[in-house]
Amino acid sequence: MSDSLKDILSNLNPDIDQELLLQYLQGKLSAEEQHTLEKQMMENDFESDALDGLQDFDNKQKIGMLVDQLNKDLRKRTDKKKKLRKKLRADLDPWLLVTIVIILLLVVIGYVLVRSQMGK
Amino acid sequence: MPFVKSSRYDHITDTKLLELYHADRNQEWIGILLERYTLLLLGVCMKYLKDENEARDCVQQIFLKVLTEVGKYRIDYFKSWLYMVAKNHCLMKLRNQNGRITKELNDQVAAVPAENRTELVEDDRAYDLLEEAINELNEEQRQCVILFYLKKNSYTQISEKTGYSMMKVKSHIQNGKRNLKIILDRKLKQKSERKP
Repeated sequence: MSDSLKDILSNLNPDIDQELLLQYLQGKLSAEEQHTLEKQMMENDFESDALDGLQDFDNKQKIGMLVDQLNKDLRKRTDKKKKLRKKLRADLDPWLLVTIVIILLLVVIGYVLVRSQMGK
Repeated sequence: MPFVKSSRYDHITDTKLLELYHADRNQEWIGILLERYTLLLLGVCMKYLKDENEARDCVQQIFLKVLTEVGKYRIDYFKSWLYMVAKNHCLMKLRNQNGRITKELNDQVAAVPAENRTELVEDDRAYDLLEEAINELNEEQRQCVILFYLKKNSYTQISEKTGYSMMKVKSHIQNGKRNLKIILDRKLKQKSERKP
């Protein structure tokens, strides 16, 4: 009894596994497992709010698919930025920079030489 | 079959992932971090916006916001920070849609991790008074608190036994718990005042 009473006052909140939460929403957990998860979620505002919202989905089976799609889009976004950064790095290859500087120097030297020849 | 994959990065903590991001500014670390909270974010957005499509769009906007803003701040507790960002984003959307006046979250409050919040009562005397305090709750709250905490019933079971909806059950338990702490605090105060 006293252990049960302690539960009311405790603020224990081990992070909740998303997969377990999905199983809960889809009614795949036993009554005991449901109770444990509900007790954990009650201790955290983020999770408690999320549970309220997730219960509002008409089709709970769809939630997993939606999360999957959102994660795929997210990966595409972070991957795109990574590729762009790689491309930028490739553009800034030091040898490329050296080549550009040498070409520019040659052009300037050539121009100066031509001008001095014409002056004579 | 759709599923939420457990990642090979599961062993890395949120704080470590943030450190990795700050070290090389690779947004993939933030992506891994955000994926841990996609389901929760979807739930929070759904709670406020009450529309599945809007909730999905809102999660994408929050992702984008986090990806652009995470580098600007020193974040100690990512989960609390993310919740604050998500909630504020939903409230802003609602305000833009309906012109409703909504209250911004106080950054200070949201930045405090749940595990560090001061325990209201850690006193052994509290447990002796708790049974007394439970009896002072109103009938609905008392019934739900007893079934949930003492009989270890799930929301569904309590809903079946009492006839309240699941949401009502949850709300009675939450309010009951809050009231219990207030009653207990009062009782403990009275007890210590009585002592010379």
